[in-house]
Amino acid sequence: MKRHPRLRITMLAPLLVVGLLVTACLPSGSEDEQASGGQTGDTTATGGASEAAADEPDELVVWDIYVRGTERDVAEQLTAQFEDEHGVTVTREPKSLDDLKATLPLAMGQADGPDVASVNQGRADMGAIVKAGGLMDLTEFGREQGWFDVWGENLLARNMFDENGEQFGTGNLYGVAPQAEIVGWFYNKDMFDTYGLTPPATFDELEQMLATLKDNGETPITFGNVDAWPAIHTYGAIEHTFVDTSYLNDLIFGTGDVAFDTEQNAQAADVLQRWADEGYFTKNFSGISYDDSWAQFAAGEGALLLTGSWIAGELDPDTVGFFLTPGDSEGSLPPQTGGMGVPLAVSADTEAPNLAKEYVAWMTSEQAAESWVEAWLPSQTPTEDAVADNPLMTDLVSSWQEVLDQDQLGHYLDWASPTFYDALTAQLQELLADRTDPQAFVTALEADYAESSQR
Amino acid sequence: MAASDTDVERRREAPSRRRTTRDRRSSGPGGVGRRWLPYGLLAVPLAVYATFVLYPLATTVRLSFYEWDGLTTPTFNGLTNYLDLVRDDTFIGALVHNGAFLIFYTVVPVALALLLTVLLTQEGTVRGLGVYRVGLFVPQVMPMVVVGVVWRWMYSPVDGAINELLGLVGVDPIPFLGDASTALPAVGLVASWVQYGFAMVLFMAGVQSIDRTLYDAASVDGAGQWAKFRYVTLPGLRGPIVVATTVSMIAALRVFDLVFVMTRGGPARRTTVVAFEIYQRAFQLREVGGAAAAATVLVVLILVLSRFVLRFQEEDA
Repeated sequence: MKRHPRLRITMLAPLLVVGLLVTACLPSGSEDEQASGGQTGDTTATGGASEAAADEPDELVVWDIYVRGTERDVAEQLTAQFEDEHGVTVTREPKSLDDLKATLPLAMGQADGPDVASVNQGRADMGAIVKAGGLMDLTEFGREQGWFDVWGENLLARNMFDENGEQFGTGNLYGVAPQAEIVGWFYNKDMFDTYGLTPPATFDELEQMLATLKDNGETPITFGNVDAWPAIHTYGAIEHTFVDTSYLNDLIFGTGDVAFDTEQNAQAADVLQRWADEGYFTKNFSGISYDDSWAQFAAGEGALLLTGSWIAGELDPDTVGFFLTPGDSEGSLPPQTGGMGVPLAVSADTEAPNLAKEYVAWMTSEQAAESWVEAWLPSQTPTEDAVADNPLMTDLVSSWQEVLDQDQLGHYLDWASPTFYDALTAQLQELLADRTDPQAFVTALEADYAESSQR
Repeated sequence: MAASDTDVERRREAPSRRRTTRDRRSSGPGGVGRRWLPYGLLAVPLAVYATFVLYPLATTVRLSFYEWDGLTTPTFNGLTNYLDLVRDDTFIGALVHNGAFLIFYTVVPVALALLLTVLLTQEGTVRGLGVYRVGLFVPQVMPMVVVGVVWRWMYSPVDGAINELLGLVGVDPIPFLGDASTALPAVGLVASWVQYGFAMVLFMAGVQSIDRTLYDAASVDGAGQWAKFRYVTLPGLRGPIVVATTVSMIAALRVFDLVFVMTRGGPARRTTVVAFEIYQRAFQLREVGGAAAAATVLVVLILVLSRFVLRFQEEDA
């Protein structure tokens, strides 16, 4: 939910008159209009020429989040290809993620709303729209397209809800994204050469490396946490080495009977606090913004940057490398925080359901990935040729593939409940400032987790 | 001078009166239309006010008694939203922070502006008024978002202007916005910086309108600088002080932009305010009913406090 730092600037947009904030969206009485159109059995079209039924309109309206530089260019180019191939008109209306989060819930499922839209994952966004009957079930279509083979159930579960929008992580598939996200370690190759370091094979080696860098007067990890969410990724990377994917799935989807105040989560908090005490992070990180921290790393200050693949475009592909968080023993891969970008979903009320589904399939196809890789890490693996001139992207693509192959995709911990982002960021700031201890940390978070999962 | 002025006025009045009489006669029974004209003219702004202020306000209050995610049908839940607010430590904390912002938004700027006004004026005359007006008003004119972004840079421990300056005198960089003890004052001082110019412009204008003979009379009575301030300037500025206090108090209670841009309520919720909690509930958690309840509390709070401050002005009248 909170992994689009670069879109954050655009969050200034909702600074509307506070008094009107709440009233901007009033209930219009009967909102229960059920998903009517849609799943009418016609499930033939795949790939190629337009099999999209002749009785469908030849126009699509798409609300997506591809607003910036290269990603916007790629989205335009791919959309133009789609228009040519199908002889249709696609009207893209790019919006910032936060604009979209505010407007989409009311527009989805309305006659003048979009046919295809970027719908943010999670209970508050996708879940709420599914509950209101605004999204089309793409499970069957996805099976035909082979999405479950490419990405696996574990990854696609993040875009799934039961048809009532109540249960997260199971039931119907409501979207797929062209972008992949994987959180790991960007490293400064020059500095690694200076100290004779190589990407660590085990977590112990990683810690030794941090100590070595510190002893040599370097900043081991470039870090800035005034925005509060970056610490989620730092803690998450450590925490994931103590747990397995089934615990994480249960925690996030609220399926199993799991708690947050476990021995493992406390141990991870202890490691994080120790790293802060040892001075492994940038000095005064609590007052440094995320943007300043990656800019420092990009400028060659600091050996490592622990963040998501989305930042790759801002870094020099030749002097920066990437590796995943290592496990206990050589060759073991612990779960890695990551997932898909904001998925493209189809409106339940679209008059062109087949065309809309085709569009989603095309934008997330292997072929499209060859273009998307210009902008960021695509969810489908592009050919080696496509990334040959970009060593950093080569590292990212192979890391993503390794995580999928070993089925070790972890989670953004703030997804555990609607209020967990707030609780987790606040507690992490306390932990990093030595204002709480690991046991109190997990106890406080368990209290929040237990309370909101009862709702 | 008085005599000639009055003559002119009389001469001017005469024809207009005649015209009025003729109008009345010619319009005949249409006098009714005249009576309704004011209401007709008022109807347009009233309709706008009702549509864009009263109706949303009423709807907000109504929604505060419902559980609603913004999408599905709202369900009535009585006072639950309000009870939840009372039990929510974060919301109570937000109220406390708003209280602290009252100091930074109102007390500090009004006191500072009063002091500067006295220093810059000599018995009701301001030297170089135009320069001050422009200079002091600049922070007021800048959008709060811009102010927030710029100050966030200045507070940064990495190349931030303030820490650079402190560095010159040998102070290590301080993570102002990230440290639990400095974050709230750091945001608050920005508010003071924005507000004092506004108060000062009001006070300077107010000082101009104080009759200078009062200062002369006070001097004759043997009043010193303090007595002149206490018994001439201060009472003369009552109106502007009430206005400055009311406006800045409302700003303190509904502050959102500064907090949103600078800290997002952090670190660990130490700068969160009611308006930010409203935003969180409505758009992050999709608890529209809870957000409406918080908004209602905020509106009531503003009304009550404004009423309290405005009483000082009424006493004057």
